Amino acid sequence: MALKQKAAILGAACLVLLLSAVPGHAAEKEHGTVIGDADIYVAPDFKAQRVGRATRGRDIFLIERSKIDNKDWAHVLATIQEGLLQPREISGWVDGRLVVTVSTPNADQIIYGEAVDSEHQQELRGGRQKADQDAMRLYYRLYEYFPGSPLAAESLWRAADLRWQLEKSGVFSRPSAREMDANSRSQIDDETMRELIKKFPGTRWAQLGAYDLLDNKICGDWKGEAKCPEKESDMYEHYAHEYPQSPKAPEALYNAAWRQAVLVDMYAKERGKADKARKKSLDIIQELTTKYTESDWRARGVQLRYLLEQNLPVYGQ
Amino acid sequence: MNARRLLYRLALAVIGLALTCAAADREHATPIRELVLAPQPGGSGQSVAQVERGRDLLILARSSAGNEMWLQVTALAQPGTRQQEATGWAPAKLAIATSSPNAADIIFGAAVDSEIEAEKPKGRRSAPDDAQRLYQRVAQFFPDTDSGREALWRAADIQWQLDRARGKKPIDETAMQNVIRKLPGTRYADLAAYALLENQLCGDWKGQAACPAQEAEIYERYAREHPRSPKAAEALYNAAWRTGVIADIYRVRNNKEQSEASHNRALALAQELANQFPQAEWKYRAETLIYKMQKNIPLYGTSE
Repeated sequence: MALKQKAAILGAACLVLLLSAVPGHAAEKEHGTVIGDADIYVAPDFKAQRVGRATRGRDIFLIERSKIDNKDWAHVLATIQEGLLQPREISGWVDGRLVVTVSTPNADQIIYGEAVDSEHQQELRGGRQKADQDAMRLYYRLYEYFPGSPLAAESLWRAADLRWQLEKSGVFSRPSAREMDANSRSQIDDETMRELIKKFPGTRWAQLGAYDLLDNKICGDWKGEAKCPEKESDMYEHYAHEYPQSPKAPEALYNAAWRQAVLVDMYAKERGKADKARKKSLDIIQELTTKYTESDWRARGVQLRYLLEQNLPVYGQ
Repeated sequence: MNARRLLYRLALAVIGLALTCAAADREHATPIRELVLAPQPGGSGQSVAQVERGRDLLILARSSAGNEMWLQVTALAQPGTRQQEATGWAPAKLAIATSSPNAADIIFGAAVDSEIEAEKPKGRRSAPDDAQRLYQRVAQFFPDTDSGREALWRAADIQWQLDRARGKKPIDETAMQNVIRKLPGTRYADLAAYALLENQLCGDWKGQAACPAQEAEIYERYAREHPRSPKAAEALYNAAWRTGVIADIYRVRNNKEQSEASHNRALALAQELANQFPQAEWKYRAETLIYKMQKNIPLYGTSE
């Protein structure tokens, strides 16, 4: 009896030890991702039951690698999402060749190359569907796994921008986007963009991120009212002065000048205000054309100055 | 009688020549906004014709009406289009003459404007053609300036993209050949030569090695002939990727020897790209390609 009790206690202790070891064990496993869509099987066999698919850039845990019949297999724990279903964690076996982990030589460059490839796919007619989302995940994985890589800042910017553009097209296609007030529509989630600005302050990537963030502040439909172009012109001018080295600075100055030119049209019956807006627009154009001589925006600035000088309408053209 | 006829013909020829010379001497202009030609200065009367942005206008006369300057112009028809010549009066402020101050910048700015408009989901429908014509005018009016050279390339490039989108096969090469002829040895000529390769590509490969083999050769030759081109890295990548695909095709057909030869050749090309263009985005795509080939991940079709 005593012996049986001892055995039971020992067995229970072993079970507790084993169970407590599992999370710790998983935490030590290598993070990685796949650089091709990888079907997940219950066993290391292409004929075994398929339990899901890990798409490019999904975060996975590598549990073990194995070579069976001269084929590379990887036992992984992956979070997958299929269609509109909730994300779920599954473990299984995938083609080991597709798994790139933090310990793979040149992994940052390989993941970056696959991300660029996916971005190009998106631009091709007949390219792979949702390739932009693959690119977004791959870029983010690179930053997440290799924050010290020379490619990390650019990758986080690209991931954040892809996410931004995806969400922006959704937000601006809804009826609420036609409301004048920016607060009347849902905001584009800025979490990744804020992360970029915080992690890589002062870089051109952070400056580009700050420019994207302005989208959340611009009006929907102006409805012919002056307060929108007034506010937006200030906003763009402020950006250009805060980030004069940004690749977006000339565009921001042009946007500010153009909105002032629109105000000239809007204030057609209030000469004082119209003259003030014209002067402001011309001053901004002067700044644009002298500071950024190599950019396309300079030529647009010259054209805008011509339109103002000739009293040609700008708004609604 | 015969002498009289000869004299008459000679007179006609002289008049024709004189008109041509006069036309050559006349100043050109182009509209930066769509405009309507009126039968007389001031704009009254039934409109003569509607003229799109970027049309080539020949200035015949100038006149002021209602405190505004007006130009009598002939809107020339571009060969190969449905445009028709029309003569009438247009407000001078909408038609930029070649002698106007900052004319090159103003027209170039209007072209950029139209190009950006063309990229908007709900942009003006005519915007891509407008941009193409406006760039064409900058190139025509100011051929010896930086803007003129840039505009010549952009006009040809937009024309190429438009022809492709409209399903023209093969795409008309005239504009690109013009870039190569007028701007030899420049990056624009390199870019034009790259665009022309598209006419030499196969359509569907149908799983045959002949197509990617031919295309790989075309791209590799381009990279060798234009090593400083902005497209050289891309061309090398295209050559490497296609050669890698050939290795897959031969492997599936159990042609081990040719598969291995292609595999090694593709690796060498990708390595050359990674070493030669360390700053280009294509370098990283080459690194990924090398990794995939080393792991025998199929490049063509699915992974299984």
